Amino acid sequence: MSECSHCLLHFPEREAVHDEIDGKELAFCCNGCRGIYRLIHTEGLDRFYDKRSWDDSAAGPTLPAATPEASLFEALIREIPAHEPGEPPLNEIEIYVGNIRCASCIWLNEKILSRTEGVVAARLNYATHMARIKWQPAKVELATLLERISSIGYLPKPYTESERHRAQSAEAKDLLIRFGTAAFLTSNLMIYTTALYAGYFQGVDAGMRHAMEIISLFLTLPVLVYSGYPFLRNTLIGLRSLHFTMDSLITVGAWSAFIYSVYSLFTGGGVYFDTSAMIVTLILLGRYIEATAKGKASMAIQMLTELVPKEARRLTSGSAEAVEGAETEQVALPLVKKGDLLLVKPGERIPLDGTVVSGQSEVDESVITGESRAVAKNPGSLVIGGSMNMFGSVVFEAAGTDKETLLSRIIQSVLEAQASKPRIQNMADRIVAWFVPGMILLALSTLAFYLFRGVPLETALMTAISVVVIACPCSLGLATPLAVLISSTVASSHGILLKNGEVIENVAKLTGLVFDKTGTVTTGKPVLKETLVIDDTLSAEELLKVAASLEKFSEHSAGHAIMEAAKGLHPYPVSGFHAVPGKGIEGTLKERSIVVGKASFLEERGIRVAEEIRRKVAAFEEEGHTPVYLGWQERLRGVFLVADSVREDAAQAIAALKKLGLKTAIVSGDTVTTTRAIAALVGVDEPVGGALPHEKRELVAQMQKRGERIMMIGDGINDAPALTEALVGVGMGRGTEIAMESADAILVRNRLEAVPFLVRLSKSTFSIIKQNIFWALVYNVAAIPLAISGVLHPIVAAGAMSVSSLFVVFNSLRIKKCGHSIS
Amino acid sequence: MWTLYLLMGITITTGTCAYLFFLWSVKRGQYEDPEGPKYRMLDDDDEIKKTPPKKRH
Repeated sequence: MSECSHCLLHFPEREAVHDEIDGKELAFCCNGCRGIYRLIHTEGLDRFYDKRSWDDSAAGPTLPAATPEASLFEALIREIPAHEPGEPPLNEIEIYVGNIRCASCIWLNEKILSRTEGVVAARLNYATHMARIKWQPAKVELATLLERISSIGYLPKPYTESERHRAQSAEAKDLLIRFGTAAFLTSNLMIYTTALYAGYFQGVDAGMRHAMEIISLFLTLPVLVYSGYPFLRNTLIGLRSLHFTMDSLITVGAWSAFIYSVYSLFTGGGVYFDTSAMIVTLILLGRYIEATAKGKASMAIQMLTELVPKEARRLTSGSAEAVEGAETEQVALPLVKKGDLLLVKPGERIPLDGTVVSGQSEVDESVITGESRAVAKNPGSLVIGGSMNMFGSVVFEAAGTDKETLLSRIIQSVLEAQASKPRIQNMADRIVAWFVPGMILLALSTLAFYLFRGVPLETALMTAISVVVIACPCSLGLATPLAVLISSTVASSHGILLKNGEVIENVAKLTGLVFDKTGTVTTGKPVLKETLVIDDTLSAEELLKVAASLEKFSEHSAGHAIMEAAKGLHPYPVSGFHAVPGKGIEGTLKERSIVVGKASFLEERGIRVAEEIRRKVAAFEEEGHTPVYLGWQERLRGVFLVADSVREDAAQAIAALKKLGLKTAIVSGDTVTTTRAIAALVGVDEPVGGALPHEKRELVAQMQKRGERIMMIGDGINDAPALTEALVGVGMGRGTEIAMESADAILVRNRLEAVPFLVRLSKSTFSIIKQNIFWALVYNVAAIPLAISGVLHPIVAAGAMSVSSLFVVFNSLRIKKCGHSIS
Repeated sequence: MWTLYLLMGITITTGTCAYLFFLWSVKRGQYEDPEGPKYRMLDDDDEIKKTPPKKRH
């Protein structure tokens, strides 16, 4: 293991990025860190490294990012008119900066931006990673600013607050004010309560006691009426359908304590104002914790998603034959009609489904179909919206509007699965659902019993209320949120984002897992697996060198695999390079014309591929290998076999999951043979090949119908319906937008070893939640007999409350320790 | 005994001031970046600025 000179991350030696700065040999975990180090060094800010002290290992991908188009940001620019005449007008923008992982990243971005000529102010929010930049449009363009950010490895993204997110942050703010108010009043209340307790033990002047009790009353009332208003409202709504929730428990508990105290105030008994205010305050704290955690996760997930311009290039004039130089206009996707001719350039996503009219290219359809192969497209072939155009420009005829694509049908299926997914109540809510009626029933029986015994109504009623007061466990509302908060913090430091707290409980109860193959168990990027040397006079290395010299110019995914394998070999100079989309490439090297590509392409160029070799290759093809033939001077020289590679940590992760007693299955759109081969390689029990997107969903649904509780792990659009259907959907951090939308948890670092970690963390968190709930209840329940016998005292109530709350807090903190011991 | 009543008055007045200050800080967005200040205070801007000093108004 090496240590990154910049971020101190420990990482495998072979992933290191080496650099030499001022004669010092340095190793970095990524280019981003190298860029930062170099920049900090050239700016003369090296002392930063002596000053900082952190052992942050929350690494994200920090590769030098491609600058996104400035046009995507234009709508977000605000113009600030000049305050005084003569001053230049300013522009302001708020953008999200991706790939930030530590405080020094923020510091660096601020410095880099504010040192740019024309920038007036640049400030980043440490919590949300939003940058607010003010600049003079006359001096610098937005594109330059974006470039500055991406040059040091960060990714600027346009961010418009979604309606849901705005509602979430408004809710969090509302809760903060309500909680702050309650906390302020309760802490003031505690001063008087402490005095009253002291008075109870040491004796206190009756007039003074009365005064303090009245002040307590006025401090408690706003807590109940204002801070506790959301609980009160929900209780009244729930009451109509006799539905008891945590809110009803709080309302019943707090108000009964309040009413009891007001009564005692006039009759001279003990008051419970502190119990009443404390319940509301603690529960609000739990709610606020939940709300902020949720907001953070949803924003982080939104920011992981890919930028897709929701526009298309429509041909305005001329024939479709002339791809180059055709006049086009940018139109918003919903405005495209059936039959419109659309142009797609290399490197762009195909906006809609349709039929190619002119042009040739290869298209990566892996996000839709899960197949990691480039598919050749010629006039007449069908293209799928959402797939990536890799080489040539293509004009195609739209087969329908953006509502009628395969992609939107998949989205529809996701929405259906979401609607039909039953919401599983969490443990605390399930307990509350019977605890509240039970508590009320007990109070009513106490009332009946005392009345039967001939006790006056007033005394009987107060005894009954005191049962409710003592039974109400105020730490119950804190039991789950606190554990969930600590658990999500631990999870996110291991690269797992949890969308909600229910995930933890659901993961703890899993019985099986279903993995997607491409992009999840495998990397989705082909690597060179084998080289068949046909010409015995040449070495495999020599063949690789020749092929790589040509592939250097190509963008083909198989070509990348060859390039990757030839790393370190110096390529030959090549002239006259030419690529034929869907077939192969050719070029002149050492005065020989080299042909690389499909067998049919070599035959076209007069290179015969023997039947015997074809048969040999066919066996590999069945296992999911793609052959790349190499030949020159009318002879086949070698065949490269390229295949998707399994993630390094896949086998280990799956073995760990099996050890936890979980069943594993793998599902793929690829052929049965390929799926079986991969499943055998990583040790998965049940391979299912040739599955269409809706079939993946059905498979998960069937398993769950048999009573299994399934976690689905996937990355593609084709996995989205299955991710939603499963009890727990887990998306890969580099997955598609829709997959991440459908998932309950995201593996930010694309590492499968996070899955067993998540399972173990959830199991220990869930057992801590159960302990919390038990101990939150037990002190209060134990005191019920005291209340029933009519000898309940405020000291007992306060004791039960604080002991159980402290227990919940300290027990929840144990999760951090569990997180350490698991990893 | 009157001192106790005086102290009660003082606690409630100062408490109310603190509460109003809290409300003001929430409205001003002081809680939107809970992470920032602890880093910013360490970031002393003592190095030479390359940009000309900004005009304040």
